Amino acid sequence: MAKSKQDRYEQIKRFEADLTKCMKCGFCTFWCPVYQEERIEPSVARGKNMMIRGLLAGELDYTKEYADRLNKCTLCMTCTANCPSKANIPNVIVAARADMVKARGLKFPYNIIYRWLLPRRTLFGRVIRFASWFQGIFLPKTEGTIRHLSMFLSALGKGRNIPQIAPRFLRQMVPVVNKPPGGVKATMTVGYFTGCMTDFVLPDLGKHVIDFLTRNGVEVIVPGEQGCCGAPVFLGAGDFDTGRKMADSNVKAFEGLDYVISDCATCTSALKDYPKFLADTPEREEAYAKFAGKILDISQFLVDVLKLPASAYKPSAQVKGKKITWHDPCHLSRHLGITSQPRQIIKSIPDIEYVEMPNADRCCGMAGSFSMYYYDLSKQIADKKVEAIKSTGADIVASSCPGCEIQLIDSLLRNKVPVKVMHIMELLE
Amino acid sequence: MLEKKIITQLRNVVGKDAVLTSREDLNAYSYDGTTTWTHAPDVVVLPTTAEQVSQILKLADESKIPVTPRGAGTNVSGGSIPIKGGIVLCTTRMNKILDINKTNLTATVEPGVVLQDFNIALAKQGLFYPPDPQSFLGCTIGGTVAENAGGPYCVKYGVTKQYVLGLEVVLANGYIMNLGGVTVKNRTGYELIMLFTGSEGTLGLITKITLRLIPMPPANKTMMAVFDDMAVGGQAVSNIMASGVVPAKIEFVDNFVLRRIEEMTPMGLPVDAKALLLLQADGSPAAVEAESKQIVDILKKSGAKEIKVAKDASEAAMYWKMRSAGFAATFGAAHTVMAEDVAVPRDKLVEFIRKLDEISERTGFFICYLGHAGDGNLHPSIFTDIRNKEEFARAQKAMEEIFEAALSLGGVLSGEHGIGLEKQRFLKKAMDPVALNLMRKIKTILDPNHILNPGKIWEEERV
Repeated sequence: MAKSKQDRYEQIKRFEADLTKCMKCGFCTFWCPVYQEERIEPSVARGKNMMIRGLLAGELDYTKEYADRLNKCTLCMTCTANCPSKANIPNVIVAARADMVKARGLKFPYNIIYRWLLPRRTLFGRVIRFASWFQGIFLPKTEGTIRHLSMFLSALGKGRNIPQIAPRFLRQMVPVVNKPPGGVKATMTVGYFTGCMTDFVLPDLGKHVIDFLTRNGVEVIVPGEQGCCGAPVFLGAGDFDTGRKMADSNVKAFEGLDYVISDCATCTSALKDYPKFLADTPEREEAYAKFAGKILDISQFLVDVLKLPASAYKPSAQVKGKKITWHDPCHLSRHLGITSQPRQIIKSIPDIEYVEMPNADRCCGMAGSFSMYYYDLSKQIADKKVEAIKSTGADIVASSCPGCEIQLIDSLLRNKVPVKVMHIMELLE
Repeated sequence: MLEKKIITQLRNVVGKDAVLTSREDLNAYSYDGTTTWTHAPDVVVLPTTAEQVSQILKLADESKIPVTPRGAGTNVSGGSIPIKGGIVLCTTRMNKILDINKTNLTATVEPGVVLQDFNIALAKQGLFYPPDPQSFLGCTIGGTVAENAGGPYCVKYGVTKQYVLGLEVVLANGYIMNLGGVTVKNRTGYELIMLFTGSEGTLGLITKITLRLIPMPPANKTMMAVFDDMAVGGQAVSNIMASGVVPAKIEFVDNFVLRRIEEMTPMGLPVDAKALLLLQADGSPAAVEAESKQIVDILKKSGAKEIKVAKDASEAAMYWKMRSAGFAATFGAAHTVMAEDVAVPRDKLVEFIRKLDEISERTGFFICYLGHAGDGNLHPSIFTDIRNKEEFARAQKAMEEIFEAALSLGGVLSGEHGIGLEKQRFLKKAMDPVALNLMRKIKTILDPNHILNPGKIWEEERV
């Protein structure tokens, strides 16, 4: 039986207000990083929105070209931030991805990875570990700490420089409950959402975050049941069903905690997006909204909640005397409105020089799975970021999104620009 | 539908990536900034050189395929809509700034350069290109020349045509023709550059443009004045213009637009105001000081309820951002927005505003307007719904009355948007029939097969 139109476009209909708000002025062409490279109308928010309207009107259908145009968006939100009508087209795009996936399913290998692997954290860890055994054997080591990753991750990454999988994952390094050291009084307890990148690739960063927090009187809980935030699954691929499973288990993992912090802008934003995109029942709506309310970016937590004095931010040994610039992750700046807190932290660090880069909040082109589908385009977008970083003369570019960091490392290496990429927490002693 | 052979030939000219044929992509080139018109092309071609444009036009001319030139599609006349299908020739990939010459005060650009990108490049060198259609974030310079676009700055600095010194135009038969040069003075034959400036893509494809520049005025000041009555605001504009001072911009926003803008982006605007004038003086610091003082005096004497002088650049930027959101504010207000572009002589502005009130009362349609009060170019808009045939017909009738009112005051049909599809119904009334006939003859000489942007400017059956 044919599904009614209402059912077919269930998710899009939820964002109909955004869909109709666009009045086709085309100002988004100036801001869209994808349009700026491709310079064709289907790249930009106005074009995608009109394509979705065409779908609803029955003029277009789920074709390969439709999927391609729909997927070719980094969800950076620059269009929305500058839209005179405040039309949130990225909302419509995510919803349209969801309706398409519901109608047409996911393609190999994404169905395996998104539906089967990412929701199973331990198994995912083992697969990654298995893959990591081969990374040094088959492929030459590149500069710095970067290596080519073999096996399926390499297929997904299309040869990009991906950081090495850590010999030990964060979950294997730290206990569930991390108390402040002797002599430091615990003033607060927070949950730590580690995210896949920090857990599997950057465990030292995770360890450092925990140490920093505990030293400042925060008890840090790292629940073992937490999994992937779901960003690549429900935002990138539009698989809302799997997204809900992941959301449910994350909500459960952090039950009873008042604050949940994350050092990954994408994770933070995705966790906060649960109610907007994934709440399909009143129960989920309530649970997701409550959960979203607990989520804080690490810099937001330090500045707005913990209210640490400037003296708490001491430079780590490797950044002393260095010139540092800041890259605003899209998920932090436009999605969550967090731009002043990280700058406040960096500017508080003594013995460093802060320099603002031009267009610091311009998308780096990573956007998770976007950069796997469209690596060449992603590189072009990144090259503009590299130019901006280069123009500052900085030694270090800091950010707080491991996704952006991978992209920055890859693009700086590719362009042979000797600027070090660091997470904001790594700047701190 | 086009023959497969044509698509293959186009691909041979510009490469596979620069020919779009999927239904999804064609859909993306079926609209512009208007709310009323849509029509998909059969193919979209994105050339990067004049030679490619020439080959595309030769091909189209031989097979009599319609070619609709398009920049960023931010126009509000229906001009870039491929109403006859065929080829959309999109210039967005011809976006190089070829030269900026500080001594000659000229710049040469490809047609796809976005106006704001151009402005940013000029600002770095202390240069200024005044024509500022409010779609500057998206619109291409080629489009602004083809539409002879204007904007707020035009009250003092004139419209696009006052800045075009040289053009490279590809004719319908593929010939690449050069006109003008880089000198400000040029008295060589007819002003053919003016033929193509404002031709709305019906006479040739502009592939290179040389523009006159001026040095960036070192200082400016923004003022905002609030009025209880729109006509009083209009009178204030006339008083300023008659006083011997020419502000760089005088913009007019009505109560409806004001409220919509404040709703969309709250910035503490006086939402009770019936009319708001936004003015800018620019020039040397001393001149700006003296002129703004004079303007404020006149505004006071003319009955402004409240006057604000922007303290700094960021306050000024906020006011101008509000103005540029004006069109979004009106276009988002209804399913179909008929936004018009009439211009009346400055000394008839008050009379025209009164006539608009009358028409609104008589027809029952709410008429909102914002625009360039300083040059008598208002954008009266009527909100309707094209799906409601009866209402839409009445709305069209009301719009006709607005045109007639403007024309009866010695005004024109379009100040800066062009005729395109939106205003062609009224062209006959607004032009001398001999002049209209002359335009057709010129069109036929330059484009004998009528392949270039067919269906635009004049009404169909007469072609």
